[in-house]
Amino acid sequence: MKYGAIIGIAVSALALFGTFGVANAQSDCKTLVKPSPFGPDDQIGATNRITPAVTKAAAAEIQTGAVVSMAYNLVDGVPLFGTRFTKTILTTASLVPGAEYGKNRLTYMEDTYLSQSHVGTHIDGLGHIGIMDCYYNQTPMGKFVTQNYLKKLGLENLKTFATRGVIIDMVKVFQDAGKLKTNPACRTPCLDGGTVITDADIQAGLKMYNVTLREGDALFVHTGWGDLFNQFPAQNANYNKSEPGISKAAAQWLADQKVVLVGTDTWAVEVIPSEDAMEAFPVHAILLTDNGIHIIENVRTDLIAAEAASSKRATFFLSMTVPKTVGTTGTFVNIEAIR
Amino acid sequence: MTAFRMKRRHFLLATLAVISEKRIAGAEPRRFRVAFANLNEEPGTRIDGLGFTGAEIRRSFELASRSLPLDMIYYDNGGDAEKAVGNAREAVSSKVDLLIEYNSDAKANAEIGRHLKTAGIPLLAVNYSIPGAPLYTADNIAAGRIAGEALGKFAKENWPDQTPVAAILGDVSDLGAAVTARIQGLTEGLRQELSDLSPVQLDSAGHSVRAGSVLAKFLVTQTRRKILVATLDDASALAAKSAVETAGRMSDCVIVSQGADRSIHGGASEKKEIDPANRGSVILGSVAYFFDRYGYEILPIALRMLRGEQVPPQTFTKHVLISAKNVFVEYPPVDMN
Repeated sequence: MKYGAIIGIAVSALALFGTFGVANAQSDCKTLVKPSPFGPDDQIGATNRITPAVTKAAAAEIQTGAVVSMAYNLVDGVPLFGTRFTKTILTTASLVPGAEYGKNRLTYMEDTYLSQSHVGTHIDGLGHIGIMDCYYNQTPMGKFVTQNYLKKLGLENLKTFATRGVIIDMVKVFQDAGKLKTNPACRTPCLDGGTVITDADIQAGLKMYNVTLREGDALFVHTGWGDLFNQFPAQNANYNKSEPGISKAAAQWLADQKVVLVGTDTWAVEVIPSEDAMEAFPVHAILLTDNGIHIIENVRTDLIAAEAASSKRATFFLSMTVPKTVGTTGTFVNIEAIR
Repeated sequence: MTAFRMKRRHFLLATLAVISEKRIAGAEPRRFRVAFANLNEEPGTRIDGLGFTGAEIRRSFELASRSLPLDMIYYDNGGDAEKAVGNAREAVSSKVDLLIEYNSDAKANAEIGRHLKTAGIPLLAVNYSIPGAPLYTADNIAAGRIAGEALGKFAKENWPDQTPVAAILGDVSDLGAAVTARIQGLTEGLRQELSDLSPVQLDSAGHSVRAGSVLAKFLVTQTRRKILVATLDDASALAAKSAVETAGRMSDCVIVSQGADRSIHGGASEKKEIDPANRGSVILGSVAYFFDRYGYEILPIALRMLRGEQVPPQTFTKHVLISAKNVFVEYPPVDMN
């Protein structure tokens, strides 16, 4: 009892210390992050813009019913960022003779999937990126993290992504402008690593197919860099070393157009190395932290870009669902363009 | 003037203003052709006594110019005065708008300066002055002083009751101005914190392996003393660390280096010596020279010159001590785990 009391006091003191530790780490989030235009309690971000009217209008994009895949297969060996890993383990125990279930000899199999969530074609949630401990909508995340999950800004809060998708073929934009510098490792034309995609380039890409962005659109950019992903594992190091991507100004321009997501066939959407060598992933902060706009990485864009080129139509109905995994910062997704 | 005429005049003026504004807004900014003549891009050649290569410097110009209205032309001086003069002549023939010259030979630089002046082409010098040209340069004394002060402060805070010895380890016999200035700064910095300290100089002759063995011998002569080691480059710092560990003197020694090149710090996955997760290292840090950011620092100065703005006669690198505490702030990783 005595020892129990001492342990209890020690645990309480540690808990108090821990609380103070977190409190001390908190920053003034109102000076670091923009407020959400959707109110101080908002955890949904730009998907607020996908109203029934937006979804209904997007449905008009379905003209032939043809479905174009925009996700890569997720399999051991694809390029992974940093020290991330994926490993699947198949449970086959009941296949052993005599281990079947019941007189109908039923067997089953299932998988254990060991992986970080930001692998393959995946979505970055609002809890993924912050400035110090300040995240989307000036949220002081120090108060809302546990060892296992977020208590705020988790993916379970997101609305639908049933909206209009727009593909920009940046390879064609750069080819037409006579400034395409491809990477020798790409088997098809690609923008080289470190190539900055400006807001003017994006506007040129929209003009190519006479598209005007609408509030609630999902924007995808084909850079050709995804060809290196497709060559896994041979080009994994090249794929991760750098990438073409959008500039800070382009990210801000897209935020001003009120898009709901930006996706590319690269691992970070933004240009790497960054325009400013002293900044870490500034486009992530502009889109996710300041504007609640989701980022989709490692998107397979080549098929829809080819489809747009042949049909001269760059818009489609976006089919993408995000599992309601509570308190998570991201997850792999499947994406399809319905035409 | 009648009210109608005035209104019409105001309308015309306003229309003209809108048109001219649109023209200005839509106009592409003027692009300039800028040449950069690099010190030496020979693979494996270290630049100015530190661990950087010419390729890293050139890459920084390539990256920095992406967002600027500049079309770059690159020359490699190859560490050769004659070649540097030839490259400058070629830049003049190519009618560049400005030349950025990184060449260590004073006589050749004087000739290059005269040649560019005759051609009316502005010149910006890097690390070695050229008469009449603005200079962007490392502040070698200041960088040395930062390291000396860091060592001295560590000793005062952690070994307040002891009198340590100090050693400057590296290519101390290099008679170049940069190394001489770094040694001067190191000495001044140490003495600012510990006024009685006179650092000994341990010569590695520019070979990092030798730096380790030279320090190992020195450690044997100082068995009861705390030792402050200032290395002149990062390769020497890593060799010194091995020597300290081999001698079992980790609690007696600390090391501060010069350069902060990629051999000593890395990304979030690419673990190297200076890393947030390695705060107990005997290498306290390394003073950054940012050779791998020269393009980002120098091209904006060139652009100001091209736009006719005044630039200071000398612009110095802002050196900082890169340690486990700030390495990811100063060198943001592009991999997160």
